[in-house]
Amino acid sequence: MDNFFEKIVELFTTPEYIESLLHGFLLTLQISFFAIIIGLILGTVIALVDTAQKSRWMIIPKFICKVYTTIIRGTPMALQLFIMFFVIFAIRGFPQIITAILAFGFNSAAYVAEVIRSGIQSVDSGQTEAGLALGLSRFTIFRKIVAPQAIKNIIPALGNEIITVIKETAIASMVGLYDLNMAAKDIGSGQNMASYIVPMFVAALFYLAVVYLITFVIKRIEKKLRESDSRV
Amino acid sequence: MEDIIRIKDLKKQFGKNKVLKGIDFDLKTGERVVVLGPSGSGKSTFLRCINRMEEPTSGEIYFGNTLITDKNIQKMRQDIGMVFQHFNLISNLTVMENLTLAPVKLKLMNGETAEKKARGLLRHIDLLDKAESFPASLSGGQKQRIAIIRAMMMEPKVLLFDEPTSALDPESIGDVLDLIREVADGGMTIMIVTHEMSFAKEIATRVVFIDEGKIIEEGTPEEFFAHPKTPRVKEFLEKVL
Ligand SMILES: Nc1ncnc2c1ncn2[C@@H]1O[C@H](COP(=O)(O)OP(=O)(O)OP(=O)(O)O)[C@@H](O)[C@H]1O
Ligand SMILES: [Mg+2]
Repeated sequence: MDNFFEKIVELFTTPEYIESLLHGFLLTLQISFFAIIIGLILGTVIALVDTAQKSRWMIIPKFICKVYTTIIRGTPMALQLFIMFFVIFAIRGFPQIITAILAFGFNSAAYVAEVIRSGIQSVDSGQTEAGLALGLSRFTIFRKIVAPQAIKNIIPALGNEIITVIKETAIASMVGLYDLNMAAKDIGSGQNMASYIVPMFVAALFYLAVVYLITFVIKRIEKKLRESDSRV
Repeated sequence: MEDIIRIKDLKKQFGKNKVLKGIDFDLKTGERVVVLGPSGSGKSTFLRCINRMEEPTSGEIYFGNTLITDKNIQKMRQDIGMVFQHFNLISNLTVMENLTLAPVKLKLMNGETAEKKARGLLRHIDLLDKAESFPASLSGGQKQRIAIIRAMMMEPKVLLFDEPTSALDPESIGDVLDLIREVADGGMTIMIVTHEMSFAKEIATRVVFIDEGKIIEEGTPEEFFAHPKTPRVKEFLEKVL
């Protein structure tokens, strides 16, 4: 047990270790943040195409979206990461972090699209019909009626997806990125720190803290949305 | 009186299921047509094809002298109001917003005028105190009466009702029927699907009977209820009266 505390003290008193952890944490945050942004934007576009009214012009875009989400959701994230690194962006000098952001962002987009699509489709069709029968345009109906109702279904599931992305970025260490996960492993295998337990434990706390913060924020937003629902 | 709606050989099928098998029908201004028929005969589909909640498979529908198409239907819907069985009040909007959204968005009137008109109508149905409430807090009867005045806000030329009282408890049915009666007395042209036979008799200027996707009999309520011509209608009336 003494040994364990010694190692904790050692971890927090060795500047290199702290620097490594913070560096890894920062990289994890960077990859996660930009991947989530890409996922949200691309995922929203895909969901809008997917739920748009069927028409001649939409056949091909709808088909492309379908193929895209099927492939992404049907193959392992780790494999997608490898393909991005060793096939698509196997360009010498291309920044690894950008490749990783794109890999996680493109992956997340498929799941975000699914969340938004099902949120939109869960709005009662009677709501759209009411708008149509009054002579409103599809656009107005979406903006004023469907979207505000869909948001309530979407936010909680989107929170889950954001959390998933943050945790999933840990596999970036598989292609050699020095993220939080990698930092923990690196410190653990260092000469002085002959145990993985402490750095792994600290890294876990870092992940947990971020996930907890996001869960908290999502819960607050959910509560706000529910309040506006029960205004009488 | 002039025809406000003319329907020629309207057919509608869902996949292989042929629901409307060629309907010819004219509606004159000021008429109040009650549509009767057994469950699944296509009454709702018939009504919903008129304002294109359902896309007809074939046939022509004229509003006035204009052939209704996908291109002009949105404009036409301003003049063809619809009241649904399940009210379909917009749940994220207050009662007031439900009433004013469309007329203001479509620039039929400005916000102030719309609110004033909405207040007048709400006061008339004794629900002015609900103006800022959300639909979830209203009873079925209140919702349906608001849905009716929401349609009236547009000052439509025709009003379509699809079983407006079928989802209501017996106590609120009377209130809703009273309001429909009043709208009718105001001269509104009406098409209504209903199972309220005594109300049908009272309000109709014409009764249309649909069976298996075709109009098989029509006439004045006196003729129709007292002297049905076809065995199918006789059988139907024996069951429901
Ligand atoms: N959106 C739809 N998709 C597929 N089939 C449909 C759809 N709407 C209606 N139908 C079918 O069309 C037929 C007629 O339905 P419709 O709702 O018009 O009957 P109805 O006369 O209004 O019956 P009810 O008195 O029960 O309301 C039924 O067989 C129904 O299953
Ligand atoms: Mg029906």
